[in-house]
Amino acid sequence: MRDYFGQVYAIVWKDLLLELRTRERIAAMAAFAVLAGILFNYSIDTTVVRPQDIAAGLIWMTIVFGGLLGLGRTFYLEAQDGALQGVLTSPAPKDAIFLGKTTANFLLLFVVALLVVGVFALFFDLDLGPSPAILIFVLALGALGFVALGTLFSAVASGTRMGETLLPILVFPLLVPMIIYGVSATGRLLMGRPVAEISSNVRMLAAFAILAVAAGAGLFRFVVEE
Amino acid sequence: MATSAAPAPPAAPGVAPVLVARGLTREYGAVVAVNGIDLALEAGEFLTVFGPNGAGKTSLLRLLGGSLRPTSGEIVVGGERLDYRETGWRSRIGILSHQGYFYAHLTVEENLRFFGKLFGLRDLNERIPERLEQVGLADRAGFEARQLSHGMRQRLSLARALLHDPDLVLLDEPYTGLDPYASSVLRNVLSSLGDGRRTVVMVTHNLAQGLELADRVAIQVRGRFAWEGARGEMDATAFEHFYHHVVDRAGTR
Repeated sequence: MRDYFGQVYAIVWKDLLLELRTRERIAAMAAFAVLAGILFNYSIDTTVVRPQDIAAGLIWMTIVFGGLLGLGRTFYLEAQDGALQGVLTSPAPKDAIFLGKTTANFLLLFVVALLVVGVFALFFDLDLGPSPAILIFVLALGALGFVALGTLFSAVASGTRMGETLLPILVFPLLVPMIIYGVSATGRLLMGRPVAEISSNVRMLAAFAILAVAAGAGLFRFVVEE
Repeated sequence: MATSAAPAPPAAPGVAPVLVARGLTREYGAVVAVNGIDLALEAGEFLTVFGPNGAGKTSLLRLLGGSLRPTSGEIVVGGERLDYRETGWRSRIGILSHQGYFYAHLTVEENLRFFGKLFGLRDLNERIPERLEQVGLADRAGFEARQLSHGMRQRLSLARALLHDPDLVLLDEPYTGLDPYASSVLRNVLSSLGDGRRTVVMVTHNLAQGLELADRVAIQVRGRFAWEGARGEMDATAFEHFYHHVVDRAGTR
């Protein structure tokens, strides 16, 4: 078990170190988040609609679209010099490799999610409600389910001729439950509703995240093995 | 020297072969890349597999390394049949691929540390400098892999392949693209593998370099071993004539 978590940690460490060195994905995701916030600011008349009425949907869609920019590149550096093949010839279980890559992707996307909330708070003068910590927790749960599916399907897409352009087509239909429950919970929190009112949404988001991680860990070997 | 499609030679009595392949076959749709290959190698043996382009040499090596599953047949490493659901047997195998199998944006030392952790190695602080010394990269430990020359990258790949001290080393065209100096450095490292403990399988086009370290030789044509036997006293010139004869004969069947 110690070796298993050591292998997961090694993958996380390597992915974050590569990201720190190349800044390929975080830069694209962060730039998208900021630009989307600016564009939404100019395209929505806040004298007609209240920011807290529409912010939840905009925040989640910005996270999803921005996240796809990064997730689509998950296996790009792995393909160079056959690096992933090298990892696959090691004794590391395939689920450990998946969990490592999902954790690294989650950490990157979580940073972007915080940035998105910050950008919307700044440009829309958005009040995060009485429970900002719960709001962040909801976003983290959604982000976990999203990156688990995104990491799995990024591996699928990287083996196809269409590459990362295929990723949204594969992932979007599966994200519908996450978007529904995530937007609902976020909207209520932004409107200052009591936390008890979103407990069922949070449970569904947690179930979705657990299911996505478990499915990804179980199916990853079928995607990467020849 | 007679040409024959030799069956897998039996191991000497009492000596368990490190690597056994029985009826190894790999098909890609209608194309049969590896066709019913039998093989048995004992500890310390160095087998070089020659063959023209498309003979299935790399597919054979990938099958032996477990990165490709056979369509039929089986592989036994160290007495254990490869079970693809398990991963422990991968610690017994080291693979040098022409792809490199490293991360260009990590340093030499970071690459080895990362792969060392995947192999569950605990003594990396001692092991990594030893391997870098062995392949002549001790002064490049802090360089990112992308900053290295092709020859140095090849040596990094070799250090990675040998890091976990495998019983079976698989080498895919290790001399490709190397200048004479880099070839000589690589040859010295490869010759040090012949310590009687490690079993090596190398696939290559280069007859002279492939023959130099081998004590067994196979010629693969159209997925099959068209000939396989001991290297004996064969020199490179004689072997070249023999190789062309075998390839021509097997290719026209």
